[in-house]
Amino acid sequence: MRKQGFWGIAAVFGCAVSLFSFPAFAKGGDDAADGSVRKYDIPTGATASPLFGARPFTQKMLQFEEFGTRAIPPEESTNSVTLAPPADCKSSPLGWQIDKVINQKLWPAPMREANTYRPNPWQMKIGNCIGYTLKTSAIEGRPPGELYAHQRYDEFTPQRFFTSVQAGARMNTGARDVWQKHQYSKGEFGPGGLYYNTTGYTGSDGTTNGITPRLHPLMPAQNANSVWTFDGTLPPKLLMARYGEPLLFRHYNGLPIDVSANNGFGHHTITTHEHNGHNPAESDGFAAAYFYPGQYYDYRWPMQLAGYDSINTDASDPHAGMPEANGTITKIRGDWRETMSTHWFHDHMLDFTAQNVYKGNAAMMNYYSAVDRGREGSQCNYSSSANVNLCLPSGTAMGWGNRDYDINLVMADKAWDKNGQLFFNIFNTDGFLGDQMTVNWLWKPYVDVRSRRYRFRILNGSVSRYLKLALVDATGKRVPYWMIANDGNLMEHAIPFPNAQSQDLPTQGIAERFDIVVDFSQFQPGTKLYFINTLEHREGAGPKEEIPLADILSGKYQGDPAVGKFMEFRVKEYAGTDLSMNPADYVEGKKKMVPRATFTAAELASARKRSFEFGRSGGTDEEPWTIKVDGGHGDIADINRVSAAPDVGSLEVWTIKNTSGGWSHPVHVHFEEGQILDRDGKAPPLWEKWARKDVYRVGPEPNSSGTVTMAIRFREFLGSYVEHCHNTQHEDHAMLLRWDVMHPGEAIAIPTPEGGWEGMFYEPSYVLPTWRTGITAAATR
Amino acid sequence: MLDVMKIVARRWRAFARLALTSLSMALLSIASTSPATAQTAWGRDYFPNVTLTTQDNKKVKFYDDMLEGKVVVINFIFTTCTDVCPLDTAQLRKVYDLLGDHPGKDIFLYSISVDPERDTPKAMKTFMNQYEIGKGWTFLTGKREDIDLIQKKLGIQPAGPNPAAHTTSLMLANVPAGSWIKRSPYENPQMIANLLTGHLNAAGMLTADKGTKRSYAEAISVPDPGEAGSLYRTRCAACHTIGAGDTLGPDLYMVTQRRDPKWLARWIKAPDVMIAAKDPVITAQLAQFRNLAMPNLKLSDNDVQEVMAFIERESNFVTAQREAQKTSQHAGHAGHVMQPAPVQGHDHH
Repeated sequence: MRKQGFWGIAAVFGCAVSLFSFPAFAKGGDDAADGSVRKYDIPTGATASPLFGARPFTQKMLQFEEFGTRAIPPEESTNSVTLAPPADCKSSPLGWQIDKVINQKLWPAPMREANTYRPNPWQMKIGNCIGYTLKTSAIEGRPPGELYAHQRYDEFTPQRFFTSVQAGARMNTGARDVWQKHQYSKGEFGPGGLYYNTTGYTGSDGTTNGITPRLHPLMPAQNANSVWTFDGTLPPKLLMARYGEPLLFRHYNGLPIDVSANNGFGHHTITTHEHNGHNPAESDGFAAAYFYPGQYYDYRWPMQLAGYDSINTDASDPHAGMPEANGTITKIRGDWRETMSTHWFHDHMLDFTAQNVYKGNAAMMNYYSAVDRGREGSQCNYSSSANVNLCLPSGTAMGWGNRDYDINLVMADKAWDKNGQLFFNIFNTDGFLGDQMTVNWLWKPYVDVRSRRYRFRILNGSVSRYLKLALVDATGKRVPYWMIANDGNLMEHAIPFPNAQSQDLPTQGIAERFDIVVDFSQFQPGTKLYFINTLEHREGAGPKEEIPLADILSGKYQGDPAVGKFMEFRVKEYAGTDLSMNPADYVEGKKKMVPRATFTAAELASARKRSFEFGRSGGTDEEPWTIKVDGGHGDIADINRVSAAPDVGSLEVWTIKNTSGGWSHPVHVHFEEGQILDRDGKAPPLWEKWARKDVYRVGPEPNSSGTVTMAIRFREFLGSYVEHCHNTQHEDHAMLLRWDVMHPGEAIAIPTPEGGWEGMFYEPSYVLPTWRTGITAAATR
Repeated sequence: MLDVMKIVARRWRAFARLALTSLSMALLSIASTSPATAQTAWGRDYFPNVTLTTQDNKKVKFYDDMLEGKVVVINFIFTTCTDVCPLDTAQLRKVYDLLGDHPGKDIFLYSISVDPERDTPKAMKTFMNQYEIGKGWTFLTGKREDIDLIQKKLGIQPAGPNPAAHTTSLMLANVPAGSWIKRSPYENPQMIANLLTGHLNAAGMLTADKGTKRSYAEAISVPDPGEAGSLYRTRCAACHTIGAGDTLGPDLYMVTQRRDPKWLARWIKAPDVMIAAKDPVITAQLAQFRNLAMPNLKLSDNDVQEVMAFIERESNFVTAQREAQKTSQHAGHAGHVMQPAPVQGHDHH
């Protein structure tokens, strides 16, 4: 085993860690004005968010708004519209200018290598704002040349595209109405449907026109420098994507040139991570591959099943397929057991991810496939095992992508100042907690539902807050439901709740997605149900404990203000016929939804092993937090350092440990889904036993453990990826490491992109001793 | 009717004036790149404007004099630290070197004492001289409660009465922009320098001449992946080179040949012990290097052997490079010789 670690010694002999007990670290930023330490530092470093007279459950929840995708024109458009510069250094372009880009035909045409042939269209403006003339600039912010060229571009040439501009908050003009798949004419989104009116107010029938960026109608609108979203608008955005159809996302950076025009938080350079797509590195949103105001970045997402190169290569398996509008399936290559369903994409800017995601850089993404096509009642697996469509609750109006009974929910805590403007404490790096819960960016909304089965795709979009959700009726009685997907991946079996291992949904770390199916047909129209958060935090480093439901409902519990009811369901009559599957038919011992790819004992034994210890032990003080790789030294993030380099095509077994003594870390591994083999040497709980994961909770919080061992395959694509703590304040300061997928035997480290207003260049990378060998060799050294 | 028209016309004129004013305001703000005009939530209202004293006995205000309108680096130190903390200053010294003529011009470095009673201006001046620190990097002392408050506002746990418990993080900021980044002093110094001159300092680094078309084929050869290379890079390179001359500490080129290996191993293992024992060679060296003592890095015997082997290997590599250079000069390629690159564990070859 390894020699005595340098940093561990430093911690003892240097500037001793042990002098502070854990709670002393809870305070960063400012405490109460009198210097006393508050028991609940929520919101972190600030006073309570004012409610402006708003009461809970008085506003209709916004449904996600689809980006909408369009076919890529075969020829370059002659309509050379690009993003107009803003009027001044502190603003985004005007709303109509952004709408023009959203609706433009793709110009200039996408390229395999970054387009560095045309200048940044804001070049002059930038020069005026920053005080020197740019000698060079590029319209595309992707790092230049072969290193960040789209891999396998001829094979996975993008077929459809969408465009969005990251911009300051503004009123929605309904520019995307025409791109909604349902066209506000079908199902619950059509006239007479529950979601035809988008806000519950007159004038919102069949349009998002007029929606202002507010958390509640009684609260002030968010200023352009307080909130930065896709398009600059609400509702939050949703990408509807199909397997087998490569996509291009042209992401424009329309943020202010002056970095200070941010109302205290947020950084104007961005990089967009599609969490957790099977995407090549140049389109993964690598933390150092960020782009500047005025530029775009073409992300190309191949939308292929993992195992494309090795499994079902003749595309004969009917389970692997792309759903068509006419209800048929086009078969595709790859392993259908790797089918993914519920994703999100968000900023991944080095040092600034927490601020930017909190500020609005987060969208959701639904993957549609042969097995999960968003169409119930057609070729259903429950009618015949020869049918592959699982017929999850969705709707029937379209061949795929019905959202009538399939609802995306992003849950996040927020805080705002006395003027109602979003607040973030940039100095507390233990973690940032808001005191108010939002769903789809609205404070404590209600949603109308039919008395039938629904699918909810729940994303924890917080910065540092873990959730534990209970679903109860008005009397506080728990309502039964099934969990069907973990981290957006349909499980082998549906897990009923309550169950022997948990009454309520398991702890949901930051970025984790849980899909559940609730059957509202057991309730009379008029019934009201509630989502309750039961997991208490006192400070941002991690959750404290689960609060008994009875204490929350009785009002006895008066602690963390974000514990309690935060979302209401109002059951309405259903006149139609529910054609969705009954998850009870897919529980353990019955039918399977999506089986997991298995590993033989020999494969696991011969797999390369690596270990990653997330702890506070490094350095000479309590932070920055470190990750110890393969028993080496504790290191903080250094984007130039390659800590591991798995061979493409290989299986590895990774052990993720939390050695930070009381802190919690939801560890996210990019690019590939892993399967948890054990937690602290014991079998994982039900909802992980049948699952594929990309966030691995390690810590003392409920349903977690100190150590997770998981198996993960690296396939099809190469390049630089990361893994990190998804408490994004920990990630930014700087609990993140880089690993690269490489060809076997390759010994040249991939250089690291770095850049400025005038363009990106490459710096050399360096490597850890165990980068190619893993712990196997380290142990024998 | 006419009156109404007049009123409307007047209003339009008023609007036009307003528009013109805001236009000229906009122009003004474009023309003025002084960052002091920018507004941020993390400014005068947030930071305590307490008085600190510099190594030159000058009184300065924390916000008015040290932060306002500046790109800054702040860390917390104490000069009598005998453990590994001297490495923090050595690491930052490396960043300072890489910043070229920026320090004092558009980037300002501050080291604030967490042991203000002992760290008098004179003590800090001596400390600076040991590290050969010049303009643009100020050492400060002051009242303990003021320094605790500064740390607290920066999201750093105040050290309290035990300076050894202090936080070593570097705070890097563009103050007027409200951009604050917390980094470790052990990070790659080049990255921190790039961050300061580039990302945090809009008017600083120009990247155009770095080339924009690199390919995978041009990727560097892989650095020594051995344990020793990693040890050397993180513990030694802040103060030493192999073949590129003396820096904070002596050039280590061929040191394993020049010194008795057993003696050298003892020195690397426990420099504090040998200094206390007044080893004659060390005493002479200390005088030559401004009494800047090597910290005890708590290396194991095995670590020490690996580092020594690494230094020897790298020295041989430098020798070979120099030979090759001579040969090519003799062969008449004088205009195109290999530079004798400073060896830092092959980091940037």
